[in-house]
Amino acid sequence: MATETPTQRLPLSGHRRTRYGDLALRGITGLAAVVLGLLMVALVYEVAREAWPSIQEFGASFLTGTEWNAVTDVYGARDLIWGTLITSLGALLIAVPMSIAIGVFLSELAPRAIRTPVTMLVELLAAIPSVVLGLWGILVMGPFVAQHIEPFIIDHFGWIPFLDGYPSNQGLFMAILVLTIMVVPIVASVSRELFTNVPSDLKQGSLALGATRWEMVRSVMIPQVGGGLVAAVMLGFGRAIGEAIAVTQVIGGSNSRPDSIWGPADTMASRIAAQYAGTATHLQRASLAYLAVLLLAFSLIVNLTAQLIAGRMQRRMRGAA
Amino acid sequence: MRKLTSSALFAVVLAIAVLAAACGSSGSSSSSSSGSPASSDKALNGAGSTLVAPLIAQWAPDYATKAGVTITYGPVGSGGGIDAITSRTVDFGASDAPLSSDQATACKGCVQIPWALAATVVTYHVSGVPNKLKLTGDVLAKIFMGQITSWNDPAIKSLNPGVNLPGTHITPVYRSDGSGDSFVFTSYLSAVSPDWKSKVGASTQPSFPTGQGAEKNSGVAAAVQSTDGSIGYVAVSYIAADSLDEALIQNAAGNYPEPSTTAISAAAAAVTSIQPDGSIPLVNPPASAANAYPLSTYSYAIVPKQSPKAEALKKFFTYAITDGQSFGPDLGFPALPSSVVSHDKQVIASIHS
Repeated sequence: MATETPTQRLPLSGHRRTRYGDLALRGITGLAAVVLGLLMVALVYEVAREAWPSIQEFGASFLTGTEWNAVTDVYGARDLIWGTLITSLGALLIAVPMSIAIGVFLSELAPRAIRTPVTMLVELLAAIPSVVLGLWGILVMGPFVAQHIEPFIIDHFGWIPFLDGYPSNQGLFMAILVLTIMVVPIVASVSRELFTNVPSDLKQGSLALGATRWEMVRSVMIPQVGGGLVAAVMLGFGRAIGEAIAVTQVIGGSNSRPDSIWGPADTMASRIAAQYAGTATHLQRASLAYLAVLLLAFSLIVNLTAQLIAGRMQRRMRGAA
Repeated sequence: MRKLTSSALFAVVLAIAVLAAACGSSGSSSSSSSGSPASSDKALNGAGSTLVAPLIAQWAPDYATKAGVTITYGPVGSGGGIDAITSRTVDFGASDAPLSSDQATACKGCVQIPWALAATVVTYHVSGVPNKLKLTGDVLAKIFMGQITSWNDPAIKSLNPGVNLPGTHITPVYRSDGSGDSFVFTSYLSAVSPDWKSKVGASTQPSFPTGQGAEKNSGVAAAVQSTDGSIGYVAVSYIAADSLDEALIQNAAGNYPEPSTTAISAAAAAVTSIQPDGSIPLVNPPASAANAYPLSTYSYAIVPKQSPKAEALKKFFTYAITDGQSFGPDLGFPALPSSVVSHDKQVIASIHS
């Protein structure tokens, strides 16, 4: 018995080594996934714990409260939620058509000589740190827009509600512009990728049937990538909702809703960034954490919605095909 | 191309992971050694008020040669300094506003030592309007409540006869972060305007009813400079540094003193009573001080009564309130009155390890 064991082990050793490799792979990847999961749980727990005094004090009325006042120690997030939604949706309104246009241009229309450099530029834009964009917003974009673009719009379109008022180099409109610059590269590079991957026989086919380029884009390419496009837009939306630093720099941190799009406002993320260091009261700190809880919930909803829509559109497409 | 982007993406993800790991480890190490951020008594770390930062920048090299102790100071703002000393990530904090009652509770046995005398100055930028416009506290309160909205308002005109004021829209600019300057400014407005006191009040982070926020003194200075028709407030040293226009604010005696070291000293001489919490509120000094600057303030060092570095801190604070004061006047900080110095010495003596 004792003499048999070594001879039996020999052929096994090769197998065993590969099994160790498999085990290591499974262990490392599994560990990474578990650590990420734990991190997420710990993060939510910690933020919720910090926010607890405010959740107890204000409960759901935090969502509708308009006052944010460290003197009276009363906090409400309505105007901040409003600011977050307006700036994010405003940025998407400008960024999405622009990004899809860039995607179509780069995948279909651009000559090869400019395709590569422009693609790289768009991706570089995504890599600019937001604090740099914010600084540029303060020093360059803000003064320019306030001196040249806003007075023009106010003079000619001031009769439209929310477009009147006084030009300002800090405010909602500036925040929307800065967020647009952040969202465009994300949506544009994803949509370029999507359009490039549309099977060329579909494109060629529609062209062969006499479709114009525009008809081909509209009726073949965009429906083909619909689900992915929605996911890309949602990705940009998530980015815009959560952006803090650059928005803080240009939105003008106001305590109330502005009368016009040019006036200062504030968003949830920007309020956290501006006030978290140096809160005057315990409850103020807790209320900022409450904002963070709301932001987490917002991002979760946006992501889940994106997956839901993308999945449904893909299924519908498969059903159609 | 796609291969390039995916490998670039991988590099970015890797870099973020490494960075996050580094942050995590530095965070945990600082929290585990809470109470003694650096083990040696040859180094003191502080953070807080941007207002006293220029003064501490003068103290640090001088104190290093005299006492062989390195002072490291992070000008993160008064509110940030209070947070830092509350969590004991630094050896001392610095704030231009005394601790609020919540902050004092959270700081667990901290004392505040008035160690510099300074002022908050109202600044504005209106093209076509000269420097040193005169304003009263009441007009200032109305401007920051949105009741006076243009520069040619009769209330401003009557204070400045002979000055040609345009009809530019007024944009008030305030600090969006926790700030000692906000505290001084709103304390003053609360003192002179009952309306302000009941509607807004005094705080390091008050809820301004109108206008736009900017971060730190530098942010306010930049916002004021780049916005025609703006009015804001900054620490006195920023006026000269950024060559901003300053408004002269009427004091209780009816005069319009400039924020000079003599006018700030006059305010300090007029207010000698020390509050139970160790603060000395200087805003709106009584009319008996005819030339006192109305927005004067003490800046405070904030330190736990029980500190592992008590000896080093005591020596440094004693230096700051005595020899260190000689650097002040050149930077716009008048020397502390002798009554405050002797009070400080008592407080410093109570610090122990």
